[in-house]
Amino acid sequence: MTKQKLSMGQMRIGEIMHLVWINIMESKFKVFLTSLGVIVGSATIILVIAVGHGGEVEVQNEYKTLNAGSINVAASTEAQMQDQMMGGFGGGFPGGGMPGGTPGGANGNRSGGTRRSGGSGGFGGFGGMGGGGTGGKAVTLTESDEQDIASLVSGLSSVSIYTTGTSSVDGGDLTEETDETVAGVGSEYQEMCNLDLLEGEFITDEDNEDKSKVAVIGYTLAQTIFGSAYSAYGDSVSIEGKKYEIVGVLNEMGSVSSGTSPDDSIFVPYQTAAKYIYGKSADPQIMAIASDVNSVSDKITEIKAVLMENHSNVKENAFNVTDAGSTLESATSSAKTLSMLLMIVAAIVFIVGGIGIMNVMFVSVKERTQEIGILKALGSSKRVILLQFLLEATFISVFGGLLGVLSGFALIPLVRLSGMTVEPVAASAVYSMIFAVGTGTIFGFYPAWKAAALMPIEALTQE
Amino acid sequence: MEQVIQMQKIRKFYNQGENRLEVLKGISLEVLEGEYLAILGPSGSGKSTLMNIIGCMDRFQEGEYWLTESFVNKMNDAQLTILRNQQIGFIFQKYHLIQKYTVLQNTMIPLLIRGMSRKEAESLSMEKLELLGMKERADHKPNELSGGQQQRTAIARALVGSPKLLLADEPTGALDRSTGEEVLRLFQQLNEMGNTIVMITHDLHVAKSAKRIVKIIDGELFEGDEADVALA
Repeated sequence: MTKQKLSMGQMRIGEIMHLVWINIMESKFKVFLTSLGVIVGSATIILVIAVGHGGEVEVQNEYKTLNAGSINVAASTEAQMQDQMMGGFGGGFPGGGMPGGTPGGANGNRSGGTRRSGGSGGFGGFGGMGGGGTGGKAVTLTESDEQDIASLVSGLSSVSIYTTGTSSVDGGDLTEETDETVAGVGSEYQEMCNLDLLEGEFITDEDNEDKSKVAVIGYTLAQTIFGSAYSAYGDSVSIEGKKYEIVGVLNEMGSVSSGTSPDDSIFVPYQTAAKYIYGKSADPQIMAIASDVNSVSDKITEIKAVLMENHSNVKENAFNVTDAGSTLESATSSAKTLSMLLMIVAAIVFIVGGIGIMNVMFVSVKERTQEIGILKALGSSKRVILLQFLLEATFISVFGGLLGVLSGFALIPLVRLSGMTVEPVAASAVYSMIFAVGTGTIFGFYPAWKAAALMPIEALTQE
Repeated sequence: MEQVIQMQKIRKFYNQGENRLEVLKGISLEVLEGEYLAILGPSGSGKSTLMNIIGCMDRFQEGEYWLTESFVNKMNDAQLTILRNQQIGFIFQKYHLIQKYTVLQNTMIPLLIRGMSRKEAESLSMEKLELLGMKERADHKPNELSGGQQQRTAIARALVGSPKLLLADEPTGALDRSTGEEVLRLFQQLNEMGNTIVMITHDLHVAKSAKRIVKIIDGELFEGDEADVALA
C-alpha cells in the first residue's frame, strides 16, 4: 500500500467570513452588547482628542498677538510679586498686546470673564493695582531706561516704553462716561504686538513728539461707542474730558488669556498719555523684542543689569521681568498635560472595553464548544477555527469602533454647549479605529486560541 | 475488494496512578469496501473509544491502523483533521448540526472546509439533500425540523464529501422507533449504492439491520457467535 497524499485546499477566506457573518447576524444583540465597550472607548478617544486639541487651539488663539521673543519689564510691587505666585502664567504680562498688570483689572475681568482663563486675567488686573499709585512701588521706569536698554543691550530688535491704565471715556453713542483701558504707546508698539489696522493708521513718532491728541481704537470698543467699527474712524472720543481724534481702528484680534484685549482698548501716543492722562500716577512699562528667541533669558539678565545700574539702591526684585516664550510654553504645556491626562482616561476605558470583549468571547467559546467540536470532527483545522473566532472579534471591534467614532463626532456639539473649546481632529478617527481593532483582536485572541486548541471529542461530548 | 479499515491489535489504556485502565485490549478489525458493519456493545464496553479511534478523533498506544491508504499511526493532528474531512462521513446520535446555520449551510460545511467555492458546494449539497428528501427544507434551521429530518440532514452532510467510510454513532438513539426504522432503511439503501458503513450501537435490533455484526465486550472484539461463547 502506498501512503496517500494528504493535501487539500485551505478553506477560502471568503467562506470563513461568510460563516462569521452568519454567526454575527444570528446573534445581533450579543454583538451589540459586546461592542458597547469598544463604542464607548472609541467615542471617548474622539472626544478626548477634540477637547485636548481644543485646549491647544485656545492657547494659540489667546497668544496669537504675542511675539515669542518679547520681554516685558514692569516695576514690581508686593502685590505684583504675589500675583506672580498666584496667577500662574500671564500675570503682569502683555498677553496679546496689552499688559496684564494694569489698573484695568475690571476691564480685564470683563473681557476674560467668559473664558476659561478669565481667572488669570483677573489676577493680572489685581497685580497691576499698584500702578494706580497705591502700592509700595520702589521704582518708576522712565524713558531713559528705555533708551539705555535700547543702546546697551544688543540683540533687541525694538524697545518701547508704554503706559496703561483706566480712564473715563465719553463720546459717540455713549450716554454717560465709562471707564476704559487707555494705553500710551509708541509707534513701534503696533509691530511688537502684531496689531492690524482695519482703517487709518497707528500712532506715529510725530504724534508722540507733538503730544497730539489722536487715538487708535480697538474693534470691540469702537462698536460699543460708535455702533460700528467703521463709523469710529474719523470721529472723536473724549478721554478724561479732552477730545481725541480717532486716526485708526484696529482689526478684531480676539480675546487674550490675561490682561485686556486690544479689542477693548484705546491707544494714544505715549507722551500724550504721560502729559494729559496719567501724569504722576503713570506706571510705565518697557517692552523689548529679542531678535533671537533663544537668547531671551540672556537678554533678561542684561536688561536687569542695565536697570540696576540706572536705579541705585533697589533690590533686583524691584523689576518684574517676564517673557512671552515661557508664558506661551507653560500655557501650551498645561494644555498638553490635560491632553495626556485625557488620553490616559481613554486608554483605561479601552482596557475595560477589551476585558469586556474577552469575557463575552470566553462565554461565547464555552457556549459554542459543541459547534467547535462539530467543526473539528468535520475537518476544520485549528487555523480556520482560530481565524473564525478572531474575525468575529475583529468584526465586533470594527463595528464598535465605527459606531464609537460616529457617536464621538456627534457628541462634540453637545460638549461645546458646556462652553469648552472642542476641536475635532480627523486623525483621531484613525487612532480610535486602531485602538478599537487592536483591543478587540488582542483580547479576542486568547479565547479564540483556547477554542481552537480543544480536542474534537472533548468538545463534542460537552453539553 | 479494497480494505477501508485495517486494525491490528489496537490497545488503548489510561494510567491512573499505579493502576492501568485498559479500554481496548488488542482489537483487530478489517472492513472492506461496500461492507455494512455494526459494532454492538453495551455501555462501558469501549465501543465509544473504538468509534473515536476509527474516526481519527482519538489516539491509541499500541497497534496499527490503516484507513484506506493512510497509515493513521504516523499522522499528526493536522493530518488527521484532513483525513477526517476527506475520508470519513460522521453521523452522530444527537445529529450535531450547527443551530445557526440552515440545512443547506450545515450540509455544505465539509466541502467549504476543503476549500470548495460556495457555488459548487451548494449544488453538490442540494444533490444530497434531494437524495434524502430534504431539498424543500434546505433553508430551514435545525430547530424547525423533526428529529428524523435533522438526522437526514446530518446524513446528507456525511455523504456530501463522498467519503470512503460512513461512521455512525447510535444513529437511531435519539429517534422514535418508526423514524429509527426509516433511518436504518436509508442506511441499507446507501450501502446498496456502494457506501461502506460502520455503525456503533448498543441495540441488537438496530445492529441486525447491518450485513455483518461484531460485538465488543470489555475492550475485546468478537465476530459473530464467538461473543456468545465468550460470555458463556
